[in-house]
Amino acid sequence: MHPLQGQRVAVIVVLAMLLMWADDQYDWLKPVRYVIGYAVAPAQKAAVVPLSVAEWLGDSASLRRELLKENKQLAARNFILERKAQRMASLEAENMELRDLLSASDQVDDRVLVTSVTAVDPDPFTQQILIDKGGSDGVFIGQPILDAHGLLGQVIEVLPFSSRVLMIADTNHAIPVQVNRNGVRAIATGTGSLTELELIYVPNTADIREGDMLVSSGLGGRYPKGYPVATVTHVENVPGQSFATVKAEPTAKLDRSRHLLLVFTDKAARVPPVALWKEGQ
Amino acid sequence: MKLQVIVYVFIMLFVAFVLEHLPLPDVLYLFQPAWVMLVVTAMVLFAPNIFGLWLALPVGLMLDVEQGTLLGLHVILVAFHIFVLQLLYRRMYLFNVLQQAGVLFVMIMGEQIIHYWAVAVLREDARPVLLVMPALFTAVLWPWIYVVGYRTLRRLERG
Repeated sequence: MHPLQGQRVAVIVVLAMLLMWADDQYDWLKPVRYVIGYAVAPAQKAAVVPLSVAEWLGDSASLRRELLKENKQLAARNFILERKAQRMASLEAENMELRDLLSASDQVDDRVLVTSVTAVDPDPFTQQILIDKGGSDGVFIGQPILDAHGLLGQVIEVLPFSSRVLMIADTNHAIPVQVNRNGVRAIATGTGSLTELELIYVPNTADIREGDMLVSSGLGGRYPKGYPVATVTHVENVPGQSFATVKAEPTAKLDRSRHLLLVFTDKAARVPPVALWKEGQ
Repeated sequence: MKLQVIVYVFIMLFVAFVLEHLPLPDVLYLFQPAWVMLVVTAMVLFAPNIFGLWLALPVGLMLDVEQGTLLGLHVILVAFHIFVLQLLYRRMYLFNVLQQAGVLFVMIMGEQIIHYWAVAVLREDARPVLLVMPALFTAVLWPWIYVVGYRTLRRLERG
């Protein structure tokens, strides 16, 4: 061992602390992280091989009869959805017309990219997942993510071939929502449980009932407007307290969905500069 | 040092990173050992004059990116791990494998505490870390890594 090994360790620890501080405070270490992502990518790809092999085996081993049945079911479902889509076209046109009247231009349909979940963060104190699309597919920080049932979360870290997603159930996450029935606005924060969100700062008099659908209001500038977020499960007015306790269940299947959609919208997404929101504090 | 030994070491490290990233059912995540630390232990014990403190930088940074932690956090942990191993090298060399596992248990637990402290110094919202589980399962796996990794490396080196 080198005679000054202790001092060398101390230097490394101090340098690493400085690095952590810089990574925490500033953005300019993001490219470094991105480049190191190339070194980690092979191992990450290899780690999902057993999963894809199992999936492939499952697919190729399913019976012809089952496939035919599934095909029939899907055809029926497709038929129903197509009928809805027909109505959708006219509604969209009508919507555009009305928006023109209001002289506001808004895109109704967003561009999406299909991705699948490759890993779940093992840390039990956070709700994050990894997906198999990254910077090389145009993913950016702050990008909203949906599953087939509703909003799931947003991208918080982009690597070349994968990204990290913070789910709406994380305790560090909040999303502006509104009640679909009457447009009452609220903020839904994660509780750390995958099946529960909490609406904060809801006045006791607010018109929110159990069973109400909460949709994203688009007010934060991060999420697109109008996607389902959660269903209200519990409303409690405690006399003497200024805010009601409102619990809701996410509509997205946070712990089950394997295939997700990355949404590209013009309006949503771009993260506001740090200076903008730090000033207010 | 022979070429096959170097190749073997890199394969071990690669497999450790794969295992670190392996998708598991939620319950099993509680039992996930520190795979990379295990391999680093084997490397440092096997060739202490080749695998030294420098290893902390590449391995630590890759772990940080892999786990999405602040860049530098795992550099501290790996540096600490290697330093303690170097301090205890003679003892570890003479210990039997169960005693080595005991030392690893205490070391990993200490590193989990440092993990928490390092984040808590920088940010107010430091999340709690699991203390016993990762250390326990790392220690339980050490005898296997010792046989598969360390012993095989010795044999490769000898011929």
